[in-house]
Amino acid sequence: MTSPLTPSTRRGFLRSSSALVALPFLESLGFQRFAKAAAAPTPSKRFVFLGMGFGVTKESWYPDQKDVGAGYELPVGLAPLAKHRDDMTIIQNLANQYNNEAHWGSTFWLTGANRYAEAGQSFHNTVSVDQVAAESLGQDTRYTSVQLSYKGGDNSGHGPGQSLAWNQQGKPMAALTTPVAAFHKLFSEDNTPLEQRQADLLKQRSVLDTVLEDAKTTKRGLTKSDQDKLDEYFQSIREIEQRLAKEKEWLEVPKQLPDPAPVEPDKSLQGVEEIKVMYDLMAAALQVDATRVFSYRQPLDSMIRSMGATITAHNMSHYQPGNRMDVSQQRDLKQSELLAHFIDRLKGIKEADGSSLFDNTTVTLGSNIHSIHYLTNCPTIVTGGGAGIQHGRHIVAAPKTPLCNLWLSLLNGSGIASESHGDSNGQLEELFTA
Amino acid sequence: MIRYRSIFLCLTALALQGGRASALEFAEVPEIHGQILADYCFECHDSLSEKGGIDLESLSYRLDSVESAETWQKVLNVLNSGEMPPDDEPQLKDGEKIALLRDLSDQIVVARELLSDTGGVTTMRRLNKREYENTVESLLGVRIEAEDLPSDTNSGGFDTNGSALFFSADQFEQYLKVAKTALDEAFLFGPEKPKPITQNLEPEVSLNQFYEKTSAKLKENFDKAQAWRNSDGSKPPKHFGILDEFEVRFVERIYNQQYATYRRYLDDPRSKEGVLLQELFNGTSFVRVKIPPKALPGTYELKVFARPLKGAQRTDTYLEYGFPGARSGEIERLGYVRVTNTKSADEPVVLKVPVTKNGKREILIRHRQHNNRDAARATFTRYLAKEGFGPEPKMLIDKVVLNGPHHETWPPRAVSEIFFKGMWWKQPDESVYAREIIERFANRAFRTRKPADSFIEKLHALYESETAAGKKFSEAIREPLAIILASPGFLYLAEPVKPEKQGKSEPLSDMELAVRLSYFLWSAPPDQALLEAAKAGDLREPGALRRHTGRLLDDRRSDAFISALAHQWLHMERLDFFQFDDRLFPEFDDSVKESARSEVFETIRHVISKRRPPIDLLNANYVVANDLLADYYGLPPVEGGHFRKIPVPDDSPRGGFLGMAAIHAMGSDGNHSSLVERGVWVTRYLLNDPPPPAPPNVPQLSRVRGKLLSPREELAAHMEEAQCAQCHQRIDPVGYGMENFDPAGQWREVLHLEQKQGRRVVKKKTVEVDASGSLPDGSAFKDFYGLRKQVAKHDEAFTRGFLEALIEYGLGRPYGFSDESLRERLLKRANTADGSMRELILAFVDSEPFQLKK
Repeated sequence: MTSPLTPSTRRGFLRSSSALVALPFLESLGFQRFAKAAAAPTPSKRFVFLGMGFGVTKESWYPDQKDVGAGYELPVGLAPLAKHRDDMTIIQNLANQYNNEAHWGSTFWLTGANRYAEAGQSFHNTVSVDQVAAESLGQDTRYTSVQLSYKGGDNSGHGPGQSLAWNQQGKPMAALTTPVAAFHKLFSEDNTPLEQRQADLLKQRSVLDTVLEDAKTTKRGLTKSDQDKLDEYFQSIREIEQRLAKEKEWLEVPKQLPDPAPVEPDKSLQGVEEIKVMYDLMAAALQVDATRVFSYRQPLDSMIRSMGATITAHNMSHYQPGNRMDVSQQRDLKQSELLAHFIDRLKGIKEADGSSLFDNTTVTLGSNIHSIHYLTNCPTIVTGGGAGIQHGRHIVAAPKTPLCNLWLSLLNGSGIASESHGDSNGQLEELFTA
Repeated sequence: MIRYRSIFLCLTALALQGGRASALEFAEVPEIHGQILADYCFECHDSLSEKGGIDLESLSYRLDSVESAETWQKVLNVLNSGEMPPDDEPQLKDGEKIALLRDLSDQIVVARELLSDTGGVTTMRRLNKREYENTVESLLGVRIEAEDLPSDTNSGGFDTNGSALFFSADQFEQYLKVAKTALDEAFLFGPEKPKPITQNLEPEVSLNQFYEKTSAKLKENFDKAQAWRNSDGSKPPKHFGILDEFEVRFVERIYNQQYATYRRYLDDPRSKEGVLLQELFNGTSFVRVKIPPKALPGTYELKVFARPLKGAQRTDTYLEYGFPGARSGEIERLGYVRVTNTKSADEPVVLKVPVTKNGKREILIRHRQHNNRDAARATFTRYLAKEGFGPEPKMLIDKVVLNGPHHETWPPRAVSEIFFKGMWWKQPDESVYAREIIERFANRAFRTRKPADSFIEKLHALYESETAAGKKFSEAIREPLAIILASPGFLYLAEPVKPEKQGKSEPLSDMELAVRLSYFLWSAPPDQALLEAAKAGDLREPGALRRHTGRLLDDRRSDAFISALAHQWLHMERLDFFQFDDRLFPEFDDSVKESARSEVFETIRHVISKRRPPIDLLNANYVVANDLLADYYGLPPVEGGHFRKIPVPDDSPRGGFLGMAAIHAMGSDGNHSSLVERGVWVTRYLLNDPPPPAPPNVPQLSRVRGKLLSPREELAAHMEEAQCAQCHQRIDPVGYGMENFDPAGQWREVLHLEQKQGRRVVKKKTVEVDASGSLPDGSAFKDFYGLRKQVAKHDEAFTRGFLEALIEYGLGRPYGFSDESLRERLLKRANTADGSMRELILAFVDSEPFQLKK
C-alpha cells in the first residue's frame, strides 16, 4: 500500500479537515487513501458475525416452515425485532453436514470443516468465512479483523476455539475478551511521543528478528510433525511483522473517535450488559473504519445469569416446559432485543454517500446448534445491506443445505469473488431474488 | 478433544480373551445387522436406487477410512433423529433398533479413535500455561498469573497434548508482557534487605465509628419521616427535610431493616473489644488490613487475635481471608483458618499473605461464608423476619498485627543466580557482564539446548540499544531476558533427532530425559540434583531413574502433576460450572468446596506416597481430609488445615471417590443432583467404559411434561425411545446408586420434589430415596454400599483408565489403540511388584515410550 502524502502533509491535512468542517467522521475518512476516496466515495462493505453458543427455543424462535416469504408471522422469540423485519432475513434448514458435536455451537460454524478429515489427527479445522472476508476488506483499515469473546471457559456451548475465527491454516485465532480490552484496542490513544513510538516499532522488529534467529536453530533436527508445530511460531511472527508494517503506516494517523466518543466500560460488566457494550463498541469501530470485519463469540452462561437465572446455559439448552424453557425463551427475547439495538445503532450512523452504516454491513446471528442437541437447521438471521440480500423474508432452504452456501453467498454478494467456502455446493440464490 | 476411548475396552478385553493380543485394526459393524438394513433400507438405498446418493448395499461393514466412517455416521444420525426410515415406511422394532444403534455408535467411536490414532507419534509441544508460570517462577523467583494467556484446555483434551497446544501472534506478545512483568517484580530490590515493618490494628475503632454514623443517619432520616407522618399533612415531606413520599417510605423501610441490628451491634459491650463477625444488611462485618503502598513486596504475616463467641458451633469457628473481589461482598480467597482458642483471644492465628509490586494491597478477614453479598443479605433477611434483627455474631476479632516483608535470603536466590557475579549496583564493565548474564540465563532457560551465538549476539545488541536509549543496567538487561522467555528454545519442549535417525525413534539424551521427567511430575524444570545426575550421565544407572522418580513424587512440587492429571482425567472443571445455592446449601461455601476439591488430589497423593493400590480410590476405610472437611462429613474433629488420613467405619458412606463431596457436587448443577451426570461419570472414569458422546438430533421426550416425578421416574422415560434407551440403559441405573447424596455431597434419606411455575411452588412431594440399580454389566445392587462394592470389583478396569490418562498426560498425545500393549505391560509390571499406584507411575517412567523420542 502506498500513500501519496508525506507525514507532515498528512498531519496538516488532518488538522485542517477537523478545523474546517465538522463532517461526520466517515466523510473525512479519506486521509489514508485520500485520492481514492475522493474518486470513489462508495462506502466499503463490512461484516459482523455474532455466535450465540447453545441453540434457541425451537418452539418460539423459528417461524412456521410453511409460512414463507414476506408476509410471514414473526415468532414470539423474535418479537423485539419487529421494527426491523423488513431489513432482515430468517433462513431455515442450513446445516454443517460434518458436525456431530452437540455442544459445539461455534467451532465449525463459520468453517464447515470436518473434524476428522485428517487421518492420524483427532481435530481438524479450516479457515473461517470472516477471515476470508478480512483478507479482502482488511487491507485498508488499521485492524485487518477484530475478534471478540468473553473471559472464562467454554460453558456457553461454543466448543473448542478462542474466538469464532480460524486462520488460513485452520488454527484458532485469539480474541479480545473484555469490553475494556476492546475499548482500549479500538479507541485508546497511545500518548507516547511519535519518535518514541517509531523507536518502539524498530525495537519490536529487532525483537522479532532475534526470536526468529532462535527459531531457525530450534527447527534443526525436528521431525516433520514437529516442524509443522514450529511453523505456528513462524506464522505468528510473520503475522506480527505484517501488523507492525501496518502499524508503521498508521503510526501518524490518530485513532478516530466517533461522536459521541465511547467511554471506557466498567470492568465488572457481565452478561447482557457486557454484550450490549461490545455491540456498541463494534458499531463505533465500524463507524470510524477501524476494521471492517468483526466476529463475536458471545457469553451465554453469564448472560442468562445476569438475567436472574440460577441454572447453567447447558441446563437451559436441555429445556422442557417449566423453568428451563422459561429461561431459554427469556434468553431468546433478550438476544433479539440486543440485536435490534445493534441494528438501531448501525442504522443511525451515516456514511459519506448518505447511506447508513447498516446499508453496507452484513450482520449474521446464529449458531451451529439448532436447539437442545439438534444440529440440523442452524438458527440463522442475516441483516444489513452489505451483501445485497432482498430482506424482509423468511426463507426455507432445502433440508440440509450447507451453511457454507450462505457464507459463500455473503462473500460474493459483498463483492468478494469466491468459488467455494468449506463444504459449499453453490450459492443461496433465493437470497438475492425477491 | 473429547476422549472417546472407553468402548474399545470391552472390545479389547474380548480380543485378549480370544487370544488376540494385537491391537484392533479396524472397527466393524456386526454383519448380523445386515438383515435390518435389507429389511428396512434397501428399498431406497440399495445399489440400484441409491436414493440421496446413499448405497447401503455395497457399503463396507468395515469402518476403515474417513469416508466409510462418515457414511456410517450419517446412517447413525438419521436413525437417531428418526428421519429414517421415513414415517410412511415400516419402522424398526425397538429391540432391533436398540442393538443396531448401540453397535453403530460404539463402532463409530472405535473408528474415530483408530483413524485419529497418531501411531505413537508425539507432536512437540510448547509449555502450557501452568508450566509457563512454574518455569518462570523457577527462573525468576516470582509467581506471575499469566491470566491473559488463553486457556490450554479449551480443546477438551489434556493440556499436555502437543498437537492441541496452538500458538498465535497475540500469544507471543502476551509471553513478552508476562515475562516483563515478572522481571519487574523480580528485580525490585536494593542493596539493603528491607526491614520488616510492624503495624498494630484495632479494627473495631473505625468500624464502630462507621456503624455509629450509619445508624445515626438512619435514625435522623427516620425521625424526619415520622415528623411528617405525625404532622397534620398540610406541609409536604420536603418541609421536614425529606424529598417526597416515596423517599419517606424508603427511609422507613431501611430503618426497619437495619437500625435495630446496628444498635444491637453497638450496644453489645463486646463490640468495644473487637469486630463482631456477623451478617449485616449490606453483607457481613469484616476486618480490612491495608498494606502501606510504599511497603516492599514479599511475604507478610498477619497475626489475628480472635475468639469464638457464646453460642458458636465448631463449624462457626472458621475465618476466611483474601484480597477484595470484583464486587462488594466478594473476596479473592487466599485460604481459611480455624480459631482454636475458645476462651480468650490471646493466642493469635497467623496468616501469611503474598504482596507483590502491582498486586492488591488489601486483605479482608471474615467468618467463612458464601462468596457473594446476596447470600449474606438473604441470611440476614431470614433472621430479620423471625427475630427483628440479624443473626448473632459468632466470632470476634480483637486485633491484627501486620508484620513484613519477610525474605528467606537476600538478595532472593533466583536474582543472585541471574546476577551470578554480583548484583547490578556495583559493576565495573556492565556490557561484558550483561553478555555473560544473557548467555547464562539463556542456557538455563533453554534446558537441553545451547543457544546459538548469533542469538546471544542479537540479544546483546538489544541490551546495548537499551542502554544507548539511556536505560540503566538493571533495566536494560530486562529486554533480552524477557525475549529469551518468549523464544522457541524456551517455549517448546523440543527433542530434536539426528538427521540419520529421521523417521525412526531414538532414545532421549540424559538431559532430555531429566526434562521430560520433571515436566511430567512437577510441570516445571529439573532441580539441581536431577540436572547434575543428567550431566554426570548417572540417570540411567540401575535404580537411578527410579530413585529420582520417587524423589520427585514425594516432593510437594508433584502437586502440579497430581492436580493437573486428576483435574483433567476426572473432568473436574465441572466443579466450577455451578454456583451452589446458599439457601439450600449454606455450609457448602468456597472454603468447603476448595477443601472438597483438594480432598480428591490429596487422597490420590496419599495413595501414591503410601504405596496403596488404586482400589483405595474406589473403596477405602479411610478418608484424607482437613479440619473443615472432617467437620463437614461429621467425622471426629481434627485440628489443622493440612490433609491427613482419618479412619472411617465400614458402614460410613465416606471413603473412596464415591464418598467425596466434590464428586457428587460435580454430578449436580448447584441446585439439583443429576442421576445421568453421576452415572456417566462413574461408567466413564471408575468403570472405564464411557458411553458414546451425546448424539445430536435425538427427539426430545415429551411424555413427562407437567408431572411431579422423582428423578428416577423421570428417567424411566429414557427407556421408552430406542435412541435414548441404547445409552441410558447403561447410564441411569448406575446413577440411581448415588441418590443418597445431595448436590453438595451430604447424605440424605428423602427427596423433596417441587414443581414450580415461575417462582411459585405449585406441587410438593417427599419421596424416600431408592438407591437400587445396576452396573452396565448387569450386576445389581440394593443401595449405595452395594454400588460401591460392585464398582470396587472393577478395580482393574479403573486402573486401566488411570493408566490411559497417565500415558496421555505423560506422553503428550491422545491415548490410542496402539498404546494398548504399553498399558497392559505397565499393569503387569506393577502387579509383579505390589500393584500400587506408585509402581504404575514408576513402570511408566521406566517404559520405552517414555524414554524415546518419536
